Amino acid sequence: MSFDWLSFWEFLPRMLQAALVTVQVSVLAVGFSCLLAPPLTIIRLIAPWPARVVVGVFVEIVRGIPPLVIIAFVYFGLPAIGLMFDGFWTGVVALTIVGVAYAVEIMRSAIESLGRGQREAALALGFPVWRTYLELLFLQALKRTLPPLTNELANVIKASALLSVISVHEITQVGNALIFETFVVAEIMVQMTILYLIIVGALSTLSRKLESRLV
Amino acid sequence: MNLTYMFDVLVRLLPALGLTIALSITALLIATPIGLLLGSFRASSSSSGIIARLLDVYIFFVRGTPILVQIFIVYFVLPALGVKLALFWMGVLALVFNSVGYQIEIGRAAVQSVAKVQWEASRALGFDDRSTLFKFIMPQAARRMVGPVMNELSQLIKASSVLSIITLFELHKSAESIISADFRFVEVLVVEGFLYFLFIYTLSFFAVRLERRLSSSDGLVEQR
Repeated sequence: MSFDWLSFWEFLPRMLQAALVTVQVSVLAVGFSCLLAPPLTIIRLIAPWPARVVVGVFVEIVRGIPPLVIIAFVYFGLPAIGLMFDGFWTGVVALTIVGVAYAVEIMRSAIESLGRGQREAALALGFPVWRTYLELLFLQALKRTLPPLTNELANVIKASALLSVISVHEITQVGNALIFETFVVAEIMVQMTILYLIIVGALSTLSRKLESRLV
Repeated sequence: MNLTYMFDVLVRLLPALGLTIALSITALLIATPIGLLLGSFRASSSSSGIIARLLDVYIFFVRGTPILVQIFIVYFVLPALGVKLALFWMGVLALVFNSVGYQIEIGRAAVQSVAKVQWEASRALGFDDRSTLFKFIMPQAARRMVGPVMNELSQLIKASSVLSIITLFELHKSAESIISADFRFVEVLVVEGFLYFLFIYTLSFFAVRLERRLSSSDGLVEQR
């Protein structure tokens, strides 16, 4: 098995295009997760019990099921309730569901790890409950959530590889198709690996920068 | 939603659940000792050695790429190198390859969490580093690994669903094949999700209890 640079360069443009799709899916899913997780965490913590239970059950179910099964659910489920999405948006929805569930759990445990003293002090000073959570607890917890959250969002990016099963043309799908087309294995594998390492690496660099900013 | 059909699917999926469990537990049993061994190596040696560097690269690779890519590598590269394995063992190998990358860190953290006094006491009693590690530190570290390792088993169960890609008929692949035969996805996916959920939650329920019991009988190590 010798490494063939010629086919390496030949396949690179298609793989880069695929990488762009992976980046788009990931950015959208990570972005939506980060937008939706804070309000859902607040609901999980202080909303009236029916809403709290609904969010809690959602989080527990998603965390107990493999992402691949979630993708299948969304893939078959959305058309069944009349929503016609293409593979790309189906993927974004599925990955957002996965990302949000884990993010809510991370944020919840971070806020609860702050201890009751903070909350009680704020309430004693007459802060409304929602302001206590939003302005005091949430902002403090944010710093603690950053490392585990980054880990989880990296998992979301990695889970985007699973979208190859619903034929989204991302890195893994394109790489796999190229392997079966050309029987060139090593060169394509190396490209897939490097592309993922770059994308996941970019996320963790970004998060490290953000973390040092927050200190 | 047809309950009789769902029950029928449940019965048909049970053997596949067995395969999922067999895959994950076999992988865990192989990966955990390797993780503990390499982890204690990482905990006790300086990070400049060549093996430490290689381990860093390996961990960086495993954590930075999707398990699907790792499965493909095992699936495509091994045969190209002339290694022929049954599909089951290919699946186990891919899971082990992935899991060790995470368990090294679990092992390292566990070994480092054992108090320094233990090393010093053991040295004072005349044991060399190796027997200190194997006789005193590792057993204590292993006990501390129970919680994270049980958690890793849940991760492995979820990861094993991806092995459906290489046509290993574990839970997800079997569910998929039932869906494409019967064209009834809601019932099948609900049953499949229920099985994963039930198994993973039972597991984490017992993990929490086991961890609590082990840490409460772990008096010596607590004081630092």
